Amino acid sequence: MSAAVRFELRKLAAQWRVRALLLAALLGPIPVALVMSAQANPPKDTLFGRFALDNGFALALMLLGFLGQWVLPLLTSVVAGDSFASEDQHGTWKTVLTRSTSRNRLFWAKVLVNLGLTTLVLVVLAASTIASALLVEGAPALTGLTGQLIAPGHALWLVAAAWLSVLPPLLGFTCLALLMSVWTRSSAAAIAVPVVLALAMQMLGSVGTLEPVRPFLLTTAFESWHGLLTDPRFTGPLLEGFVVSAAWAAVCLAGASFILHRRDITGG
Amino acid sequence: MTTTPSPRPDGSPPAAVEAVGLVKTYGSVRAVDGVSLRVEPGEVYGMLGPNGAGKTTFLRMLFGLIRPDSGTVRVFGRSWAESGVGVLEGVAGFIEAPRFYPYLTGRQNLEALALLDGGASRGRVEEVLGTVDLADRAHLKVGGYSYGMKQRLGVAASLLRDPRLLVLDEPANGLDPGGIRDMRALVKRLASGGLTVLLSSHHMDEVEEICDNVTIMARGAVAFHGSLPDLRALAPEPGHLLRTTDDVAAERLALARPDLRVGRDGDTLRVAGQRAATTGLVADLVAAGVGLLELTPTQTPLEELFFMLTDPAGTAPTGGAAA
Repeated sequence: MSAAVRFELRKLAAQWRVRALLLAALLGPIPVALVMSAQANPPKDTLFGRFALDNGFALALMLLGFLGQWVLPLLTSVVAGDSFASEDQHGTWKTVLTRSTSRNRLFWAKVLVNLGLTTLVLVVLAASTIASALLVEGAPALTGLTGQLIAPGHALWLVAAAWLSVLPPLLGFTCLALLMSVWTRSSAAAIAVPVVLALAMQMLGSVGTLEPVRPFLLTTAFESWHGLLTDPRFTGPLLEGFVVSAAWAAVCLAGASFILHRRDITGG
Repeated sequence: MTTTPSPRPDGSPPAAVEAVGLVKTYGSVRAVDGVSLRVEPGEVYGMLGPNGAGKTTFLRMLFGLIRPDSGTVRVFGRSWAESGVGVLEGVAGFIEAPRFYPYLTGRQNLEALALLDGGASRGRVEEVLGTVDLADRAHLKVGGYSYGMKQRLGVAASLLRDPRLLVLDEPANGLDPGGIRDMRALVKRLASGGLTVLLSSHHMDEVEEICDNVTIMARGAVAFHGSLPDLRALAPEPGHLLRTTDDVAAERLALARPDLRVGRDGDTLRVAGQRAATTGLVADLVAAGVGLLELTPTQTPLEELFFMLTDPAGTAPTGGAAA
């Protein structure tokens, strides 16, 4: 397995889109923070938007809420969606599967590498966003969702935890992109479908009559950090989000594995 | 998990490849229809057939890329059902055109693929690059490689595994005459070192030049299986197309020779027979004062046999075999 993982890492490291993705995660938040700071009026209709122009913590949380709608699914799909489909595109399935490695090993190597890359991208994006927001807007005490004041030192931990809490649903979207990559054999479709599904889930989640469905949507888990910023704090949604994300990931990976193991490699 | 292959009852090592009754169907098309063949260790074995004969489908089943509907294939005594990917221990090759990651250089592709085989030293990578004359281009990205360079890189990637069985699917496809000559020389050189080679081709001359035994496939089934001497024994007599100053007289003289078969290919006279008979006809023509304008060999006898075996409906040219 380690050989297959090193093989996948070597390929990823040589791809421009991976470098571009990491660079975007690192540098992208800087202009966003600068543009936000130049706004005359704060975006009061968004969560933490009211304080975003004079509080770096609030700006970092407001951006997290925005990114969770479709940007985070897009970021993870860009590479994961290409992972299996690119083997079809380059005709290299036959190249790798005629070596001493099985489909199973290659499958799990790709899964592990993509989950790892998603985690890395989120960590870089979170660190860059929080740092940029704090540098541009400063780090005064944060007003929580129930009006309580949170000291800067504690607020930093809560903001970091909020960003970390989106990792499970993000990994869920990674697995969804991997499934699409195996299923459609098309990078474009495998990148687009998770983003479209994310938007569709957002819409479904906002329909009042579909409230019973809401907890099972992957996008709902992107909002599970809200409970960290209330007083008293509630963490039930975090656990629910973790379980729902794990279920989505398991179903997607099971489907992807089934399809890959059943298919005949006739192309290339 | 892999299993250790057991020797045959007589103590000899297992066949390099042993296929029994392989069948693969796509819809109503039987791409491979009950193919059985046996490749012994150390031989150079040819699989011959026109495009669509089922050669590549057979090789994909050998490599486990597609599953047969029925039948088994064993490689050095191991089957996919028993040994999984262990079947490919000691096996290397490529199916159709070898494909690589275009964003990696030739050397990086080999180094990455070597990881899947448990790693290879830098020296070994350079060695196989040298074997296929790609050492000076190995730093270039494969996306810019010509077809022939990719073919050679495919051979290099195969050699990296130090195979006992090398499977090459139409290795000369798309190569210019120089490339074909180099590829055949390379295969012969590798085979002379004791490597078992399973080579698929749709060129009879390629198989005739390199192989010891051959299976000819047509429409998914085996049309011939045996040694090249056996194949040659089935071949028709060599044929010639004949143009003279008086074709009527020439045809009369040819028909008078019992050792020649005579026919027509459009307006052109066609004779088939052993060399002595054809030479005798030429002497008869000269003696009768008939001028010889053209005496052109048709396909080689093996090529004619190939067409007869693979296209019995007669849509292919039949040359001198016609009566």
